[in-house]
Amino acid sequence: MAYTIFKSINVLNPRTNFDEKSNVVIENNKIISISKKINIETLTNQKSVTIYDGNGLTISPGLMDMRVNLGKTENLKLTQKVALENGITSIVILPNQTPKLNNPSIIDHIYKQSENTILPKVNVYGAATKDDAGLEMSELGLMSEMGAVGFTNGNKSIKNSLVMRRLMSYAKMINRPIIQHAEDQDLSGLNQASTTSIRGEMNEGEISTRLGLIGIPSCAEVIMIERDIRLAELTGVHYHVAHVSTREAIDVIRQAKKKGLNITCDTAPPYFLLNENVLLNYDTSFKISPPLRTEDDRMAVIEGIQDGTIDAIASDHRARSKDTKVQPFSAASIGAAGIETLFSLTLELVHKKLINLNKAISLISLNPSKILKIKEPTLELHEDATFIIFDDKFKSTINQKDLMFSPTPFEGRSIKGHILATFIHGNPSHLDPLLRKRVLNEF
Amino acid sequence: MNKIFKNHKSTSSSPVNLLSSHLLAIEGMQKYEIEGLLDRANYFANLDRHSDTKKLSGYVVLNVFFENSTRTRVSFELAARRLGAEVINISLINSSIKKGESLLDTASTLNAMRPDLLIVRHPHSGAPHLFADYLNCSIINAGDGRHEHPTQALLDALTIKRRIGHLEGLKISICGDIANSRVARSNIHLLNIMGAEVRCVAPSTLMPLNLEKLGVKCFYNMEEGIKDADVVMLLRLQNERMSGTENPSEREYFKFFGLDETKLSLANSNAVIMHPGPMNRGVEIASALADDTNRSLIKTQVEMGVAVRMSIIESLIHTKTKSLEK
Repeated sequence: MAYTIFKSINVLNPRTNFDEKSNVVIENNKIISISKKINIETLTNQKSVTIYDGNGLTISPGLMDMRVNLGKTENLKLTQKVALENGITSIVILPNQTPKLNNPSIIDHIYKQSENTILPKVNVYGAATKDDAGLEMSELGLMSEMGAVGFTNGNKSIKNSLVMRRLMSYAKMINRPIIQHAEDQDLSGLNQASTTSIRGEMNEGEISTRLGLIGIPSCAEVIMIERDIRLAELTGVHYHVAHVSTREAIDVIRQAKKKGLNITCDTAPPYFLLNENVLLNYDTSFKISPPLRTEDDRMAVIEGIQDGTIDAIASDHRARSKDTKVQPFSAASIGAAGIETLFSLTLELVHKKLINLNKAISLISLNPSKILKIKEPTLELHEDATFIIFDDKFKSTINQKDLMFSPTPFEGRSIKGHILATFIHGNPSHLDPLLRKRVLNEF
Repeated sequence: MNKIFKNHKSTSSSPVNLLSSHLLAIEGMQKYEIEGLLDRANYFANLDRHSDTKKLSGYVVLNVFFENSTRTRVSFELAARRLGAEVINISLINSSIKKGESLLDTASTLNAMRPDLLIVRHPHSGAPHLFADYLNCSIINAGDGRHEHPTQALLDALTIKRRIGHLEGLKISICGDIANSRVARSNIHLLNIMGAEVRCVAPSTLMPLNLEKLGVKCFYNMEEGIKDADVVMLLRLQNERMSGTENPSEREYFKFFGLDETKLSLANSNAVIMHPGPMNRGVEIASALADDTNRSLIKTQVEMGVAVRMSIIESLIHTKTKSLEK
């Protein structure tokens, strides 16, 4: 029998609202005790015991990143490894990668490829439509049987209203959510027929006018959401809006929630930490979709997080090679890496006293799992020992050179919060050297 | 003409110390820099071209154009040659881009040839900034997408100054396709810095959002927009940058936004007409007005282009040399 003990550690469980200093004992792959008092002697008689000094540290459930672009299937293992090192024990990957996740066998393939008892779990969204034009419904039922947790067209919106109605109706029947990237692509100049000369590149406003870049009006987001809400009302589906970025969109979602509709949404760190002003030097690491918006929109995203309109925070991880980013702004690729900074950037909301730690962890663990109905270990007695240990006061600076994925839109930013360990099924899959220094006793 | 410039402190017989060794945009430039460049350009404009000093002999200037251009490219070439520099013209409209070479690879290849100055025109806004970040030589933006065309604004300013005598307090109406125009943005910034009253006149579909935040008054009616104006600057309809829904037809455009005698009669009686070219006769401007040498400064603009670019090339190389000495 192998035991791991965290002595005097802050235990944080968003599901039960438990937030107290305690001692946590793990036996093999199960949590066997969370208590103020602990009889260490009886345990030290056992064969293998590791005791860590947990003072100043927090133990919480592992994190879930509900929006990860893999790029291509080959990146699966690396992404799992990097997620692990950053406290993420479960990721959900988007279907618009190479190859496209638009049929049951490829979804089965991804699940089989990613199965590993010591690495983060990989969940998959299925492509809502088979084709790029977004007109033919995929095999939602069969993909769902293979484990697809929801359906979306990833970074493209489901544009056709009739197709959307049918998708919602079918998804309701099989009890899966529809996830929308909300953008009226005609309005933002992104439809198939658009030439590059009118393709939207950034938020429309004073900054786009100064820079001579093509603007995407902020109403392109809310227009799509308003239509979808009507269809969600008609079909009764669970509708989830990905990466909301504008005040108007958040207002509309807030109203729909009040009405009792089954609607949820998430956002990503760039939308509550940055605004469009950072684009003034044509820095392409800020070229993301939806685009960075105004300061007022950023404030609205924070308000939405505070009042619960926004249910979750995802990294919206979309790593891009330097080759595609060191380009004129118009020619550069869209997207930025995020999986490595999700935790510390979400914690910024806590350090700025906008939300408490319990809420921050909920947004990146419990809430996404509830939205997608994925059962995740919750740090309770007799539960599976999948959890993380972190120091929320640990100071550092984001530096691209230290990251596996590029680009980060947060280069040079001072952050507080560091993952010291990720345990998966009782296995210390990731252990930071700083935690090893805290071993009190090893038998 | 020289009288006009005598009030300025800087001596027109020397190059200007600029804040940057690149000319990427007018936005952010200081008034004294613009005045200095214009004074020096005026000196070159008055100079007999057979008495050129050729003081940049041995310097290499690369003219790198990723977009079609005749007048700007030739103007830069003449300016550099009159200063004695070697000029190499490189047209990359079809070559590297089609071969799939990235802009950065193109830039570093050019950099390896150790030019002193790179003049770049590119269809993407901000592309010259990228060159400036990765190359050792000075960069002149010869027009980037819809962003800026700083040398055009400087030559427009010189043209106005030589005709009217000053820029401060003038009412200047910029009319036409503002949304797609880099000339408009550079002129708005320059004229604001110099204290002119800038108005923009355009159909609403060609007026960019929040333009008034750049310090201009926006008009959607040309009669109102050019009332009492001292200068009417017209812009070309950039059909190549449009999707087909900006403007119903050329004849409708001319009816409401084309400059003709009737509309011009509302401007100041001495008002002058300018156009950065190439012109669409009968669309932006009635053909007869374009050829009216009493009112139209269009040919003078082209002439001043060479003098202004001489001043810019010389001052940038001067500034770069000084910064290297430090």
